[in-house]
Formats: sequence, structure tokens, C-alpha cells
Amino acid sequence: MSKLLRVGYIPLVDSALLHAARATGFAAAEGIDLELVRETSWANIRDKLGAGIFDAAHMLAPSAMAVCLGLGYLDMQLVAPVALGLDGNAITLSQALHADVMAEAGPGGAGPAVTAQALARVIAKRKAAGLRPLTFAHVFPFSSHHYQLRLWFAAGGIDPKADVNLIVVPPPFMAESLQSGLIDGFCVGAPWNGLAVEAGAGEIIHPGRDIVRNCPEKLLAFRADAAASDPDCVMALSRSIRRAADWAADKTHTDDLTHLLAKEAGLDVPAGLLRMILDPSLEPDTKRTAIRLDRAATFAHPAHADWLYAQMRAAGQVAEDLEEKARLVYRPDLAGDLSETPSDLEPEIFCSMIV
Amino acid sequence: MDADFRIVVIDKNPLRAAVLGDGLREAGHSDVIHIDDTSDLLSRISALTPDVIIIDLESPSRDVLEQMFEVSRTIARPIAMFVDRSDTSMIDAAIDAGVSAYIVDGLRKDRVKPILDITIRRFNAFAKLKDELESAKLQLEERKAIDRAKILIMKAKSIPEAQAYAMMRKVAMNEHKKIADVARSIITAAELLR
Repeated sequence: MSKLLRVGYIPLVDSALLHAARATGFAAAEGIDLELVRETSWANIRDKLGAGIFDAAHMLAPSAMAVCLGLGYLDMQLVAPVALGLDGNAITLSQALHADVMAEAGPGGAGPAVTAQALARVIAKRKAAGLRPLTFAHVFPFSSHHYQLRLWFAAGGIDPKADVNLIVVPPPFMAESLQSGLIDGFCVGAPWNGLAVEAGAGEIIHPGRDIVRNCPEKLLAFRADAAASDPDCVMALSRSIRRAADWAADKTHTDDLTHLLAKEAGLDVPAGLLRMILDPSLEPDTKRTAIRLDRAATFAHPAHADWLYAQMRAAGQVAEDLEEKARLVYRPDLAGDLSETPSDLEPEIFCSMIV
Repeated sequence: MDADFRIVVIDKNPLRAAVLGDGLREAGHSDVIHIDDTSDLLSRISALTPDVIIIDLESPSRDVLEQMFEVSRTIARPIAMFVDRSDTSMIDAAIDAGVSAYIVDGLRKDRVKPILDITIRRFNAFAKLKDELESAKLQLEERKAIDRAKILIMKAKSIPEAQAYAMMRKVAMNEHKKIADVARSIITAAELLR
């Protein structure tokens, strides 16, 4: 008898391991009948996990932490045995703003500190000319996309409250919002940057890795009480995600993975673009988002919890000292990862180092 | 007494929004504004200054509203979600019905609860109506398929209508299928052999 697990996900490239675990039969081999349910918002993911409609979910890591820190309306504890990938975001600017920033940055170089300072000068000039403030979008208040934008701004001394508008726009609307001039830039995950570039709406100024390397993204989140009542099931699904990661890392499977995302995950974007994102060797340097879906990228690293908590503090989202609580979400032990904690997966911020 | 509430309904489905709007007005809430799910939602809502925001769960724009949790300069009044974080049964009922609500912080629970009750009831009623409509449509489509297949058999075998129907029913029973499915197979086969 296999056990039915209903898992909610948002159609994004980093939902790939869930789809791979189901389609390859790795989940079935572990006795799990994996039902993947497409969702339209991170708020729905959180609420349906909370209401027990989902057994587990593809969840923004900081969103899961926010729930556990009591920063919302739901009182519940969540745990994540594995992550579902690392990196893959990028900051895209409208054609006009990209040109302004690059002109301001000069020919010297285009590191994030240089571009951020150039952006600061663009903002100052706009202010002096009486132009409206620039608007930047991310995907959710508790998201690494939000924090990556803030880190980039910080490198240029830009105050995210006073100097720019920072808003949430659902990823499928990003490209058109940029095109229509509603926003001037955004930070979003794959495949939405590539899509905006292909549509001619904007240019990628920085892959997320320029700002933060090994940036935590989505977790496979369970309610803590449910996970505690069936630890074998949590371990089994985690194992199948790991096997799916090995499968996905094999280049001979990239076509299959592309097909899975385009068809099963309902990611309504050109297959050629997806294939390029999944095989970064095909991406031109300027567009490389370098998403990681390999086995190492699924480790629920406690250092990621610490890093995200620090970003939440810096963004003014956490008032009290809740560091211990923030760590409770990351539970590699529930996936059987007791032995060693990989040291080469800690987030590294570039911005603060380059002046 | 509750007429002073301004309620904004965000729903892509104009029919459902109308059904909900009627329900709210019947309960004495005259200030109900429907906006469909479009861009620039945050500034539009800021301009409307609602007390209660009702949004369907299919809308990706829920994440835009989540930003209102944070006290920001874009939104003058902080917004909280639902009435009370301890009221999980209300939250679950709303999620089951496919709707969510955001409420300006500080509104009294007993004043907002009836609004949520109406919303959940109307959303559920609308879903039921839609199901019934779909099942009626399906029934009609099935009846048409059965009639077409019946005529095909009558012509092919030169037998009367009742006998043609009896044949299909017998096949359906023997093969544990629905009679409409048998009819569809006959139509497909006839088209292939034509």
C-alpha cells in the first residue's frame, strides 16, 4: 500500500525535483503516491499547508521561517528535511534603466558594488530632475529575492524605504509590468528573468550569484506535528528528492526534465528557454542564472537559517531576538543527514566585501 | 450600522463577484467595490482605503496583499489577515471555499465575522451552482452522444430504436461501462470506418 502525499508547488524551475521524483518513479519506489498540486501564490502555499490540505509544500525558505517566528496570522511550526535547490534568481532592469546604470558605471567594471553605486547616482539625478522614484519588485515579503534586492541597494547606500518603491508583483506579471513601465526592475527566480529578456522588456544586470552565492531558495516544508507522527514518510520523500537530484544532474536527462517542467509543471514558457536554464553551459554569460538542483543543493543547511534570519532582521521584519526559533525549520536530521554539515554551501555575500 | 464598512472584492470571475456583492448588500453593506485582478493592485487598493478586502484564492495577487502586513509607506493603515489568528475553523472554512480575507487591524471581531460568513456561504453556493451547471452540460452532451450512436446502429443493422438502445445498454452492462462511453466508442468507430 502506498501512501498518498499531496504536495503544493508554484510553477517555477526549482519545483523540478518534485516533478522528477514523481515522474521517474523514485517516490513510488519509496511507497509514496506523490500528488503535486499547482498553486498560484505563496500565501496559498502557506495557508493550505497550515490547513492540512497539503501534506508538504514547495515553500520559500524565509516564508516558512516567518510562520515559525509568528510573523503572520498562523500559529504553527514547520520543518524542512531538504531544500529543493540553490541560487537561480536574477535582478533584471528595464532597458532604459539598464542603459542609465551602465552608462553611469562606466567601462571599468560591472560588479554589484559598482552597479549599485551607479544606480544610486541615477536615483540622485532623477530626484534632482523632479522625476518619480524608481519602483522595484520582488515576489513576497519573506523571500530571498527581496533580500537580494536590499543587499544590492545597500552596496550603493540606497535606502529601500526612502529612495525607491519596493513592491510585490507575481512572477508571471513581471515582464509585462516592466514593459509597461509600472516597475523599473525586479528580482525573480527562473524562468522569469530569461523570459523578460527574450520579450525585450529588460536586461539582466546581475544573476543572484553576483549578490549572494549559495543563496537559499525553496524548502520542502512539512507541518512539524505531521512530520513527527510519520518520520519514515518524511525520510522516504527526502530520499526520493535526493535521487531525483542525482537524476536531474545527469546531463542526458536534461531534455526529459525540460519536458516535465513544460508539460507536467504547467510552466507556460518556451521549452528552449527552460532547456537553457537547466543547462547553464548553453546560456550566454549575460543571462546565466546558474540555478542549482544537484544533490548538494538539497542539503537543509543550518547556516542558511542563520543567514536568512539576519536578512529578516536587517529588513526590519523581526523585532525581537528569535534566532533559536529561526533555526528550528532547518532539520537535515529528518532526512537522515546526521553525519557532516557541508562547509562549502554557506551563503557568501559579495556586495559587502567590494567597495 | 455596518454600512460604514468599505469592502473591496478582488475576483476575476465577475459572476461570482456579483453573487457575493448581492449577498453583502442584502446584509446592509452598501459600500462594496469589485475590482478584477489587474496590475498595480497595491496603489489601487491604497486609494480605495478598504476596511475589508476579499480575494479569491486563484488570484496570484494574494502575494501582493501580503505586503500589507508590513507597515509600509505605501499603505497608510496596517492590514491584518482574517479576524483572529486563533480562529482556525473560520480560516479553514474560507480556504475550503476558495477565498481569503484581509481586514484592517483593530476592527472588532464580532463586526467582521458576519461578513466572512456571508462570503464563505456565497463562494460555496457559487461553486455548487457551477458544479450543477457542469453536470447538466455533461448530461446533455451524453444524451446527444447516445442518440447519435443509436441512429448509427439503427441504420447499420436496420433495427428499431428500442432494440438499438437495448444493445448498447447490454454492452455497457457487460463491460462495466457507462452507456454514454459505449455510445462515444460507437461514434468514434463509425467515423474511422466511414
